[in-house]
Amino acid sequence: MKTIGITTTVPIEVLLAAGYRVIDLNNLFITSEDYGKYIEIAERDGFPKSSCAWIKGIYGAVLENEITEVIGVIEGDCSNTKVLIEVLKQKGIKVYPFSYPHSHSLSDVKKAIKDFMSLFGVYETQVELIRKRLNDIRKIAKRIDELTYIEGKVNGFENHLYQVSLSDFNGNIDEFEEMLLKKLHEIEKRSPVMRKVRLGYIGVPPMTGDLYEFVEKFDSHIIYNEVQREFAFPRAENAKDIYEQYYDYTYPYDIGFRLEKIKEEIKKRKIDGIIHYTQAFCYRAIEDIIIKKELDVPVLNIEGDKLNHLDARTKFRIEAFLDMLSDLKGC
Amino acid sequence: MRILGIDLGSREVKVVLMEDEKIIKMFKVSTMSFYRDYCNFDGKIVVDLQKLSIKDVDIAISTGYGRNNTDLRKFEPINEIKAHVYGAIYQSGLKDFILLDVGGQDVKIVKVEKGIISDLELNDKCAASCGRYLENMANVLEVSLDELFKHYKDPVELNSTCAVFSESELIGKIAEGVNLESLCSSVNFSLYKRLKPLLTRFKGRKLVLSGGVARNSALIKYLSADYDEVISLDYPQFNGAIGCCYYGRIRSKKE
Repeated sequence: MKTIGITTTVPIEVLLAAGYRVIDLNNLFITSEDYGKYIEIAERDGFPKSSCAWIKGIYGAVLENEITEVIGVIEGDCSNTKVLIEVLKQKGIKVYPFSYPHSHSLSDVKKAIKDFMSLFGVYETQVELIRKRLNDIRKIAKRIDELTYIEGKVNGFENHLYQVSLSDFNGNIDEFEEMLLKKLHEIEKRSPVMRKVRLGYIGVPPMTGDLYEFVEKFDSHIIYNEVQREFAFPRAENAKDIYEQYYDYTYPYDIGFRLEKIKEEIKKRKIDGIIHYTQAFCYRAIEDIIIKKELDVPVLNIEGDKLNHLDARTKFRIEAFLDMLSDLKGC
Repeated sequence: MRILGIDLGSREVKVVLMEDEKIIKMFKVSTMSFYRDYCNFDGKIVVDLQKLSIKDVDIAISTGYGRNNTDLRKFEPINEIKAHVYGAIYQSGLKDFILLDVGGQDVKIVKVEKGIISDLELNDKCAASCGRYLENMANVLEVSLDELFKHYKDPVELNSTCAVFSESELIGKIAEGVNLESLCSSVNFSLYKRLKPLLTRFKGRKLVLSGGVARNSALIKYLSADYDEVISLDYPQFNGAIGCCYYGRIRSKKE
């Protein structure tokens, strides 16, 4: 089976229909013991110190894991990817660009996905069959998300992990489904754990995975992971076809559309405060201006760079923020 | 509902009593005298409220430098950064501001958005940008702090990084014949220059000043160039203790 790497969530149904094993390069990078080495490789090859650690990590992961084909999302995710795939191409890797249209019109989304299908020589009917199969798995992830904020049986990190993993289904949909079902049954048997402060996490998935456990020290828990949840397509079953599914997807489009969904979830999940994570050198840090103006709940912006754990100063800031949120909430 | 707030500072202990959201009493005691004359130790520090002429307290909240020193019997200790933020919210009525607290022996800068701390920076490593530095320099110049604080025109450069070496540098300037007003301005300006790098990460429109140094009108003058508005609180030195009372009020309401 041929393997293909992706730089963020793409219409994976197309790639599976084309017979590929799909690997999310972000997951390959951040879950590796060698994550620091991957960044180092990129910097040695000339990537600037003042550039995104995700881009550098993906680059290192591609080279070190001998990935020969890569889909680079050059619109709707990160503009650095445009150059990343050019550098990879120079290294002899076969690259395919994919764009989420900035216009966010259904006809443009349709065109982008149709082009993507013809690039890989697959038909809509094949893709729809795969989509239905994946939607069964997406339902399990959705249930795990509900067990987080309704029943308090899932911790913040698990909520992050079992949704973010749907970008590539860990490279094997059958095994992934089996693992997810097993996890769901184990979770259902758990006793609920209720904590005082209910937090939402927005922004790209974190480099600093220890954030989830850290906030729990202060009687708080993250019960909403915005982008990870989008990667899992919780509204997929409402979409009549693949075009609608990827149209009703917030992450690659404008901030206004993202905020609509974020506001809905804040209300539905009774969220007290938001942690907005941004990656150093990323344009999304500027979105914080709009986010803070638009949301009624307090927002703390934290930034990650190369470390895969929180630094002391960020911990101190989170602690102060949660301390005051807790006061607001009372006893 | 009577709420007592005590801020155990490095130089002075500030005491505030609030009744029904109004301050009815506030006074200061030197830190040494507070522990020696108004406290006993019985496994924990016990404050003798009678000696402080305070009675009928429903809630008592303390803050100060280091939780161990502020752990008074029958008091709930709170983090001093939070105490200062609550004090500034109560006194200014603002919910979005940068708070610069220059105390006797430390400096805190806090960003507050929607009434919640979103960023902070502390300097508790070096005394060269805090109140004690100004006291020492005023002593060298043989002027009162109030006199020192007035002067902002024609400062000359004082380049020492260290608060102690600055004293000899200042003596050098006296020997060069620099006039007293300029010398006072120079001390104030050197404090501003040391605070500036700490403040660069805290851009905003409104800067609220607390701590004893908030009375320094020269510093306010210098800072005004960097912010739309520099707000001095009515009781800058009591801000931490006022914040304790405000916190006590929030807590009692939530209960």
